[in-house]
Amino acid sequence: MTAAEETPAGPPRTFAMGTHEALFPSDRVYAEKTHLWLAPSDDGRYRVGLTAYSVRLLNDVYFLDWSVDGGTDVRDRQDVGEIESSKAVSSLHVPAAGRIVSFNESVLADPSAINTDTYGEGWLYEFETDAEFVGVDEYVDALTAAWDRDQRYLKKQANA
Amino acid sequence: MPPRKLTVVISQAQGANPAKRQLEEDIAVAMFGRGDVEVSVVPPLVDMTADDPGFLFLRGVPGDVVVASWLYPRATQWVLDRQGVRGQYGKTLLGDEDGSNDFSDVPRTDAIRAAGPTPDRAIYCLDLRISPDAATFVDEIARIAEESRVEVATLTTLGLPAVTAQPPAPPKKAEAPKRRWYPVIDYSRCTNCMECIDFCLFGVYGVDDAGAILVEEQDSCKKGCPACSRVCPENAIMFPGHKTPVIAGADDGEDTGGFKLDLSKLFGAPEKDPLELAAAERDVELLRDGRDAVGMQVGLRRSKTRDAMDDLIDELDALPL
Repeated sequence: MTAAEETPAGPPRTFAMGTHEALFPSDRVYAEKTHLWLAPSDDGRYRVGLTAYSVRLLNDVYFLDWSVDGGTDVRDRQDVGEIESSKAVSSLHVPAAGRIVSFNESVLADPSAINTDTYGEGWLYEFETDAEFVGVDEYVDALTAAWDRDQRYLKKQANA
Repeated sequence: MPPRKLTVVISQAQGANPAKRQLEEDIAVAMFGRGDVEVSVVPPLVDMTADDPGFLFLRGVPGDVVVASWLYPRATQWVLDRQGVRGQYGKTLLGDEDGSNDFSDVPRTDAIRAAGPTPDRAIYCLDLRISPDAATFVDEIARIAEESRVEVATLTTLGLPAVTAQPPAPPKKAEAPKRRWYPVIDYSRCTNCMECIDFCLFGVYGVDDAGAILVEEQDSCKKGCPACSRVCPENAIMFPGHKTPVIAGADDGEDTGGFKLDLSKLFGAPEKDPLELAAAERDVELLRDGRDAVGMQVGLRRSKTRDAMDDLIDELDALPL
C-alpha cells in the first residue's frame, strides 16, 4: 500500500518537516523512540519498517547491514545493524525486547524500496514481541513535541 | 638504474555501492597513465585474511606505498601493521590527521613488541571518504610520488642502496570476501595495560613473544561488538567498520565523522556510560554463546565496586602502625 491510501482505520496522518509533509498510515502502530512502524501480521508477528520521518532525515538510502541473524532474541533498543544514505548514517535499534524472526532479504540486497515504498516493500524485518506500541496520533504528537529538540540536534551536527 | 615506482594500492569498499566503485576505478584509471606509480586494487582491507593475495602483495612491496581505503587513516595503518605490512606513517595533506604518537611519558607498547622496530619506509594512508572527486586523490598521489622520489635520492647519496626488488604481480580480483570484524590496536597509543585481555571473554587477545598485547584470534571476535574499545583507557582499540568515529579510528577531536549526520541517537541508540555499554554488549554475546551474563563483575578493574574488604583494608592502612 502507499502512505496516501485511506485504510479502515482512517486517513493517514501528516507531520510537517519544514516544507516536507511526512505521511503516517493509521493501520499500524509506531515506536516513537526508534521511529519505526509496526504492522501486525496474521501470525501474531509484526512487520517492522522505518517511518517517513526517519526516511526524510536519511534521504536516499543506499546501504543497509545487519549485525545479527534472523531468529535472534534481542533486548530493548539493541543495536542490530546500520543504515547509510547519501546524507547520513545511523545504527538501527529494535523497538522493544523480543525476537527478530527474519529479515527482508530483498531490501537488504537493494535498499531503495525504503525510499520508494516506505510502508510496503521497504519493510525491514519480522518481529515478535509482547511490548505495546502507540497509535498514529500519539506518534505524531510525539514528533511534534520533539521536533524543536531534534532540529537542534541535527543543526549542531551540521555545524560541527 | 630506473627510478623506483611508487606503489599505490586501492582497497575496495565493502558492498557494491556504485559511487564508491566508480571513485576507485577513476583513481586507478588515472594512475595507469602515469609512469612513476604502479597501481593495484585489493579487496576491503578488513575483510582480507592473512593469506589473502592482497596482503601477500602488500608484504612484498619494498618501498614507500600509498594505501587508499574507505577507513580512517589510523585504522588503515594498524590493520596493515597487524598483517606484517609495516612502515612509518606517511604524512598526507588530505584531512588533518598526522597519526602522531602521544608525547606523554607513559611508555607505549610499540617500543616492546616482538615484531621489532618499525621499518624505515613510509606508508601513506588515504581515506577515500574525504572527497567524491578522484582528482583530489590523484593530485595527492602525484605529490607523494614526488616526495617519495626525493627521499629515495637522499638515501642513495648517503650510500644506502635503494631497494630494487620488484614486488610480485598484483593479485587477481577475487570473489567478494566474507565480511570480517575484529579489533585493531594502535600501538602508538597502547600502554600494554591488559584491560582488553581481561575484559574480552572470547579469547580474541593474546600476547606476543615479547609480552606485548596482540589481537591473536581475530575471527573469535563477535561481529558488531565493539565492547573492548570502550574499555580501553587510551582509545587504542579500533573497529575500522564501526559507525562511531572514535571507535572506527578517527583522531580525537576530529570532526565527527565526518562527513555525514549521525542519526543514531534519534533512532534509538541508548545513552549510557561506556563501561556499562561495554558490559551490556559483552553480555549479549555471552548469552548468544549459551554462557552466563557477567555484567560489570568480570574484567573491569577500573569500575570494580568497593566491598567490605576494601573498606577494611583502607582502615588498616590508616592505622598508625
